[in-house]
Amino acid sequence: MTTTHIPEHGGKPPAASAKEASAFVLQLNLNGQPVSASCSPDTRLLTLLREHWHLTGAKPGCEVGRCGACMVWLNAEPVNACLLMAYQIQGQTVRTIESVAQDSASEPVRDALARCGGVQCGYCTSGMVMSMSWLHQQQPRPTAAEAEAQMCGNLCRCTGYGGIRRAVQELFAAGQRA
Amino acid sequence: MEFHTPHHIRELGLEALPVRPDARAKLGCNPGFLSDRIQPGQLRGAILGSPHPHARILRIDTSAAQALPGVHAVVTHADIPGIKHYGLRKVDRPVLCIDKVRHVGDPVAAVAAVDMETAQQALALIRVDYEPLPPVCDPVAALDGTAASEQPVHQDGNLLHAASHRQGDMSAARASTVHRVQDSYVTPRQMHAFLETEGGVAEPDGAGGLRLFFGGHNPAREKQVIADMLGLPHDRVHAVATPVGGSYGGKDELTIQPIAALLAWRAQRPVRLHLTRPQSVDLGVKRHPMQIEMQTGCDAQGRLTYHQVQIVADTGAYATHGPEVLDAALEHAPGPYRYLALDLGARLAYTNNGIAGAFRGFGAVQVQFALEQQMDRLAALVGMTADAFRALNLAAPEAPGPLGQHVVPFDGAQRALDVARQQPLWRGPHRWASADGRHLHGVGLTLIHRSDGFGKGGPSDCRMELALAADGAIELRCGFTELGQNLVGTIQSLGAQHLGCSADAIRPVLGDTRLTPDSGPVAASRATTLVWRALQEAAQPWQQALLLAAARLLPDIPLRCGAWGLESAAGLCLSYADLAKASGEQAPCISIDLRAEDPEGNAHDTHFVFGACAAIAQVCVDTWSGMVRVQRLVMCTALGPVASAQGYLGQMEGGALMGLAMGTQEELACLDGHYQARNLDGYLIPTLADAPEMQVLAIENIPEGDPIGPRGAGEISVNLALPAVANALAAALQRPITQLPMTPERVIALLETGAESSTP
Repeated sequence: MTTTHIPEHGGKPPAASAKEASAFVLQLNLNGQPVSASCSPDTRLLTLLREHWHLTGAKPGCEVGRCGACMVWLNAEPVNACLLMAYQIQGQTVRTIESVAQDSASEPVRDALARCGGVQCGYCTSGMVMSMSWLHQQQPRPTAAEAEAQMCGNLCRCTGYGGIRRAVQELFAAGQRA
Repeated sequence: MEFHTPHHIRELGLEALPVRPDARAKLGCNPGFLSDRIQPGQLRGAILGSPHPHARILRIDTSAAQALPGVHAVVTHADIPGIKHYGLRKVDRPVLCIDKVRHVGDPVAAVAAVDMETAQQALALIRVDYEPLPPVCDPVAALDGTAASEQPVHQDGNLLHAASHRQGDMSAARASTVHRVQDSYVTPRQMHAFLETEGGVAEPDGAGGLRLFFGGHNPAREKQVIADMLGLPHDRVHAVATPVGGSYGGKDELTIQPIAALLAWRAQRPVRLHLTRPQSVDLGVKRHPMQIEMQTGCDAQGRLTYHQVQIVADTGAYATHGPEVLDAALEHAPGPYRYLALDLGARLAYTNNGIAGAFRGFGAVQVQFALEQQMDRLAALVGMTADAFRALNLAAPEAPGPLGQHVVPFDGAQRALDVARQQPLWRGPHRWASADGRHLHGVGLTLIHRSDGFGKGGPSDCRMELALAADGAIELRCGFTELGQNLVGTIQSLGAQHLGCSADAIRPVLGDTRLTPDSGPVAASRATTLVWRALQEAAQPWQQALLLAAARLLPDIPLRCGAWGLESAAGLCLSYADLAKASGEQAPCISIDLRAEDPEGNAHDTHFVFGACAAIAQVCVDTWSGMVRVQRLVMCTALGPVASAQGYLGQMEGGALMGLAMGTQEELACLDGHYQARNLDGYLIPTLADAPEMQVLAIENIPEGDPIGPRGAGEISVNLALPAVANALAAALQRPITQLPMTPERVIALLETGAESSTP
């Protein structure tokens, strides 16, 4: 377990944030490991992942919760890491693409995206996999139409969603509802 | 229409697609994006942009920022040891503003500090005294000299570029005209919205040079501009520009690289600079908004007589690719049709409305929207169907190009139109309403062509290298970058076709000035075509070089190049890996020099190669809310052989959605020089729910003896989608569409005007 002081990105006066930082230690279960960080309580999870733990799979795209490129699973639910502050996730469980992409449970989704042309520049891909794998692992599994509607929180500017839609159709085809 | 050979059509969405070579890395979350190069010891860079769209800089005082603990560098223009401006055809953009700011966010100073918090505090301590000037916001007024500001955006005036073309006897053409349509069309400022904002790392190399890691289109030029800015010999700068998390033209010109380089050079420490979305919106280029006056006539039989076009485009504060964009607008204004007379004019205005620059679809898509509306409106006046009218007026495959230039003969437009006319979507009804009358459906057709490459006088030269690497991989080394277009897969598949080896034996090496020669920019839909040409040129010498090297080792066996090595009749004799090992320094390496192919006589800025597409769109308009949904889009794409099925399909689908969204939802409004949205919550790009059902019918025919091979597929889908959607909307609403995007407010306003009843 490592603890470091992380200055947050933003315009806070230094004295205030230094005081807060010394008062707040975030403890998390991150990808199955206990970790901690001494930081300002309003430090965003996305900043912690990338800057502190060097887990760069979650991407900053908009940092207002619109694009989905920074999606993680918080207590097994998909959320945008840019919208979570340290104080909101104290003691909770976070899983990132670094862990999910290694998990055979996400293999059907990764495989379908690769074969259907769902990956171009790849910058939205981490978030797409997080979102689509989560849907694919739900019981009962959503229909293709439900899955398409739920994938609207993940923006892709390259594919026109052609390959992403083909992957959804394949993965959530009728009859797979468990 | 008659064709000597049948159409060779592939419906790509129904094929099993080869997986792109970089898919696993991208799905495994770490394909090496340059904005992900986060390492201990890096300083954080931050830029101070102008709060004003137009102002004089009276004084910049950085002393308080310099004194802040944790700050390692504060830079302004005064810290630039070499050349302070850069640009393409026109060098007008300061790395950091000197005496004036010309758009909101125009960089004035920058800092590098131990962390972002300190960097932000340092920015707040920089004092800049401005004398605000009235912003130049209306491009027409800017050119007419009636702009509010006495002060032009640049010293030489607000006219950056003008172009014109006249051809034929206009008075005779007008005299034979029976029907005419005249209107004025307005197109929006569109944002690229690449998901990876501009970012990366600049670091001193410890040997008097600098390494740069920023996504871009042309690392060789980046190296040259930055070396010149720092007053360094060019070989001291090393630029890596691949892979890129989306660009669409938005990272073609340099973005933050010079500023990051200056910070790293001053601090002599690695500096990471990664823009937030609002900073990226302020600083990045956009698509040129255009105002297009068009007047087009035809005779009683529907034959086009004349076409008059006047274009005013808003290039914003700096030139970047503006002049080339305007030239493309002019060249595409006639489309693939023939006329008795043309009179085309275009002007490009500097304003204080951000910066416009390169964007996929490049100048052409705006005029194609206007032209294709004109074609439908004329067809309706004559009483012809939209497809028959186009077939009647299509220029012959051997005819000169749109500006009278010599072009490579190609019957793609004929074939694309022919295929489109046969589609069930086009053969069905073109307008219907839902039973309750609330929803109106329309089906529209378009036919467009677009140029490939930079054209006459452009930076068309391109160098690549084909080499047997030490581990036996066959490397195609080229300065182009992987932007998502699947250049990596295209190189492998074309390499296998031309070199006789397995696709997996080929390793594309891209976008790194230490490893790849200067290939020029990956732009203008040219990369696939150039890779094809390079491999075609190199195939024979390459195989000879391999055989020669092998003959030294196996002198008496007749060999040929096979999948993984040299083969005899009995099978594999010598693998490429063993050949590489045995050859050492002498391993085959071939340098390929490609030159522009434009003929001597062609005018400057005209193009020699065109691809063509037809498309059919189906839209549904909710007359209560004004919401537009594009439901179906059928693309009939005549671009020669498909080099990479996945790349081609992806380019078509992705570009099409981008193009159609310009017609339905995307517009970055700019009020008094301030963008009205600065993030993806205010500027809405399409989601999965906005994407229509798309069908891509690739027509692979090329004429016998065609010297070009595959035409560019990177942009033309933007070009086809917008006019198809506009024409479908006009069909649904029975009114011409003259202003984009057709937002709910505009749809409702249009529904409240009288119907023109001229759309078929």
